[in-house]
Amino acid sequence: MDSTQISRFSLFITFFSCILAFSFGDNSSSTDAHWLLRIKSKLVDPAGVLESWSLRAHICSWNGLTCSHDEAFVIALNLSASTLSGSIPTELWNLVSLQTLDLSLNLITGSIPPEIGRLRNLRTLLLFANNLSGKVPTEIGLLKKLQVLRIGDNMLAAQIPRSIGNLTELRVLGLAYSQLNGSIPAEIGNLKNLVFLDLQHNSLSGFIPAEIHNCEELQNFAASNNMLDGEIPASIGKLKSLQILNLANNSLSGSIPPEISGLSNLQYLNLLGNRLNGEIPWELNHLVQLQKLDLSSNNLSGTINLLNIHLQNLQVVVFSNNALTGSIPSNFCLKNSNLQQLFLSQNKLSGGFPLGLLNCSSLQQLDLSNNNLEGELPPTIDKLENLTDLLLNNNSFNGSLPPEIGNMSNLENLYLFDNMITGSIPVEIGKLQSLSTIYLYDNQMSGSIPMELTNCASLTAIDFFGNHFSGSIPETIGKLKDLVLLQLRQNDLSGPIPPSLGYCKKLQQLALADNKLSGSLPATFRFLSQLSTITLYNNSFEGPLPDSLYSLRNLKIINFSHNKFSGTILSLTGSNSLTALDLTNNSFSGSIPSRLAISTNLGRLRLANNLLNGSIPSELGRLKELIFLDLSFNNLTGEVPSQLSTCQKLQHLLLNDNHFTGKMPSWLGSLQDLGELHLSSNNFQGQVPAELGNCSRLLKLSLHTNNLSGQIPREIGQLTSLNVLNLQRNNLSGFIPPTIQQCKKLYELRLSENWLSGPIPSEIGKLTELQVILDLSRNLLSGEIPSSLGNLLKLERLNLSFNRLGGELPSSLGQLTSLVTLNLSNNHLRGQLPSTFSGFPPTSFSGNDKLCGPPLTSCMDSAGHENNILSSTAVVCIIVAIVFTSTVICLVMIYIMLRMWCNMRKVLISNSSEGGGNGIEQIKREDQERWMYGDEKKRKGEYWRVMSSMALVPSQNHDDHISSSCIFQVKMDTKKLGI
Amino acid sequence: MAPLAVISLSLCFLLPLLSPAISTNSEGNALHALRRRLSDPTNVLQSWDPTLVNPCTWFHVTCDSHNHVIRLDLGNSNISGTLGPELAQLQHLQYLELYKNDISGEIPKELGNLKNLVGLDLYGNRFEGEIPKSFSGLKSLRFLRLNNNNLTGSIPRELTSLSNLKVFDVSNNDLCGTIPVDGPFGMFSMPSYANNMRLNGPELKGLVPYNFGC
Repeated sequence: MDSTQISRFSLFITFFSCILAFSFGDNSSSTDAHWLLRIKSKLVDPAGVLESWSLRAHICSWNGLTCSHDEAFVIALNLSASTLSGSIPTELWNLVSLQTLDLSLNLITGSIPPEIGRLRNLRTLLLFANNLSGKVPTEIGLLKKLQVLRIGDNMLAAQIPRSIGNLTELRVLGLAYSQLNGSIPAEIGNLKNLVFLDLQHNSLSGFIPAEIHNCEELQNFAASNNMLDGEIPASIGKLKSLQILNLANNSLSGSIPPEISGLSNLQYLNLLGNRLNGEIPWELNHLVQLQKLDLSSNNLSGTINLLNIHLQNLQVVVFSNNALTGSIPSNFCLKNSNLQQLFLSQNKLSGGFPLGLLNCSSLQQLDLSNNNLEGELPPTIDKLENLTDLLLNNNSFNGSLPPEIGNMSNLENLYLFDNMITGSIPVEIGKLQSLSTIYLYDNQMSGSIPMELTNCASLTAIDFFGNHFSGSIPETIGKLKDLVLLQLRQNDLSGPIPPSLGYCKKLQQLALADNKLSGSLPATFRFLSQLSTITLYNNSFEGPLPDSLYSLRNLKIINFSHNKFSGTILSLTGSNSLTALDLTNNSFSGSIPSRLAISTNLGRLRLANNLLNGSIPSELGRLKELIFLDLSFNNLTGEVPSQLSTCQKLQHLLLNDNHFTGKMPSWLGSLQDLGELHLSSNNFQGQVPAELGNCSRLLKLSLHTNNLSGQIPREIGQLTSLNVLNLQRNNLSGFIPPTIQQCKKLYELRLSENWLSGPIPSEIGKLTELQVILDLSRNLLSGEIPSSLGNLLKLERLNLSFNRLGGELPSSLGQLTSLVTLNLSNNHLRGQLPSTFSGFPPTSFSGNDKLCGPPLTSCMDSAGHENNILSSTAVVCIIVAIVFTSTVICLVMIYIMLRMWCNMRKVLISNSSEGGGNGIEQIKREDQERWMYGDEKKRKGEYWRVMSSMALVPSQNHDDHISSSCIFQVKMDTKKLGI
Repeated sequence: MAPLAVISLSLCFLLPLLSPAISTNSEGNALHALRRRLSDPTNVLQSWDPTLVNPCTWFHVTCDSHNHVIRLDLGNSNISGTLGPELAQLQHLQYLELYKNDISGEIPKELGNLKNLVGLDLYGNRFEGEIPKSFSGLKSLRFLRLNNNNLTGSIPRELTSLSNLKVFDVSNNDLCGTIPVDGPFGMFSMPSYANNMRLNGPELKGLVPYNFGC
């Protein structure tokens, strides 16, 4: 190969030159030549910068070399930016007369060898911007004559050697953009001649050494983007020569030392991105040379007390993202300001628009966004005649946009979003020929969009989202040839889209959704070849789409939902970049174009509520990124193509309310991400495939109103995430699988209108999150209602009607206190209704054998006469007892009440002493006990029904009026207490 | 040095320029804000894509036909974190089901603005602080289950104005004071209050202050 030939050749040269060197004796430059040729041989030199290094020419003419005046020594080697690679050749250390070594901006690898300490005459060492790794050798401290040392922009790790403090002649020290760690050595303070110190972008930690103040000549100190912490040493204020101080993006804390005002020559101060707190010291006003000041992204508080009248050289001030309060001083700016950029966003500034700024006529960029500013924008805002960027968003400005804004002829970016600005856009806006971006979204503006806006020929972005603009879109909108974004969503705009919009040929995003726009899409849209997002939903657009839309090849997102578009959707399939197509709720007809499958990144395809017919094209199986497929409420027919099984990312599959036929596909079970499956209201037949149990993330499964038959597969129990299961109106038969108890998250379960038989599995009682409904009506279910249904404490609707359920109604159902509707009608139930059911209409229970109790007839009536009427003696006794106890009550009332109260307290404490446990479980347990021990115990639990129907009066007497009366409670307890 | 200055300064300025208006939908934003407060180790909130027009196709969110959120079902979902005031943006919410998770902190008083709320199930979490008095604003509320939390303070008397309240469960908390007897509180049985060490018997108006022992 070439390179091996070259290296062989150079080896030969080296050998030859060695002989030369020996034979010609002790001439220094010829010795240097010898070493230099060896160096040449070690370096990879694809650009051939070392080609001139040859014994045929005098050494002092070699490229990159500088000889001493007498040509006796090589004193400088400059091979900067020569695409050299390889490691630093050891022969270099023999060039002891070198004063300058510059290998910067190459691709040199390996470490800096300790032997570098032998080049004692070095004054300038430049190795920056290579791929050097390893550490900075301690021996570098031997280079006592060194004035310039720049070895940054490498991959040097480890600490800065302390020996660096020996380099007392050093004027420039550049160690930036490496991976140096540890702290800045205090010995840096020995470098009395240091002018330039750059430590940026390393991993230095620890404090900034106070000794730095000894570097009295220091003009530029940059240590940004490290991990320095602690406070800024006050002694830093002694660096009278300092012009640039950059400590940005460290972890410095504490407050800014007022002593910093001693830096009388400081022009640039950057402390952004630290943890500084406290106020901005007033003393900063002494830094009269300051041009750029950035204190942003700290925790600074207090008011802004800097005055441009002191700091007349200020050009840039950035205080964004702090906790500054108050307003800006009214005398902040007087004449002759140089301030060009003022960024105060994300603070807590309050009050009105700071009028003190209006004198800063030099201002070009003003950012007051994300503060608490309020009030109207001043008409005199046009005094800021040089302003290009005005950012006032996310405040509470109100009032209208002053017409004078039209005089700000340099304005390029106007951000007023998220305020409470009212009124209309002044026609004077049309004078802003430089205006590029106008964001007025989230305000309360009204009126029509002035046609004059289309005179702003530089406009690239318009966002008026969420206002009350009315009228039509200006017909002359097509004049905005540079428009990229037009966002007019959620206004009251009406009328058609002006055809001229098609001439905004650079338009990429068009959002006209949520308006009252009408008419059809203009054919000129074919010119919008850059268009990638078009959202027109919730308008009244109509008519077929222009065929020419097919030529829009860059469309990614289309949302035309909730309009009245008709015709086919073929013209929307020209792009192969679609990621979302939503045409829900229109009148599109024809079939689903198979061409949609060319957009292989399509994630959401929603065509519901249209008049689409034909079958699902099998090509859709190519849409591997498809997450959402909604074809519901159309006239689609045929079978669901098995190719869809390759859409493995499907999460939502909605095919309901069509005319699909065939078996319910078993491959649905392979869709592991499926969360929502709606196949209802079709003509699917056959069994519910057992494989469906594999869709373990399924949340909603709706198969109702089909012709599904066979049993409900027991694998349904594997759907442990399921919230909603609706199988109603099919031909399902057999038992309800008890495995359904594993669907513990079900809150809605509908199995009605099938041929299900056998008993209701008692396991359904374990579905304690059932809430919306449990509907088992219109089946052939038999046996008793399991008492476990009484555990469904959250259930709000229960329908067991039209079955063959028999036996006693379990009294546990009385616990279902959340029930809002109940239908047990048309079964063979008997027994007493729980008292809690008395509020339901009698129709809830009609068509049963022998149910009794409110709201039906009293059980006493139906059970005969033995127990239902008390004898007159008993009545007399009761009346006497009432009178007697009533009189006693007055005497002992307070005593009793307190006793009772104490009793209650004991009950609670004893309850609590049972400790821990799940409340519901415990309640259930208690409730079950109550069932076991019968009614009496139950009554005891309900403390103010204690007396109700049981003891005193037969069941016609009622909880309500007793419970509302304290006296009865007390009376009860008096009895209990044996009075 | 100059380029550094320009970079750091222009960054501050360019950021808003680079992010043009993303359409805001208050309910979606509220839910997304909730998501940011929650830790979700089992990714039940993975589908909550804030760039969608509305949250109606997010899992565990149910909307009505006007695309307003009416149900939030995150019961038993292994989520932790806190709730924030932004939930009050869900003005049409009927069911807020956050039961059996590991949610902590106070119940935001702003929930009291949810005028359409029918069911509020916060049971089985680690909520602390008091039951917000503002719950008296939940005029449609039928089901309020706050049991199995670390709630303290007394049962706010303001809740007696909730005429639709049908189920009330505050068992297994650390409530104190007495039990109200007015309004719907005439119906609730003892288990609703069980296991509150410092909760005393029913209110005896005029004799013992309702926050007795708090």
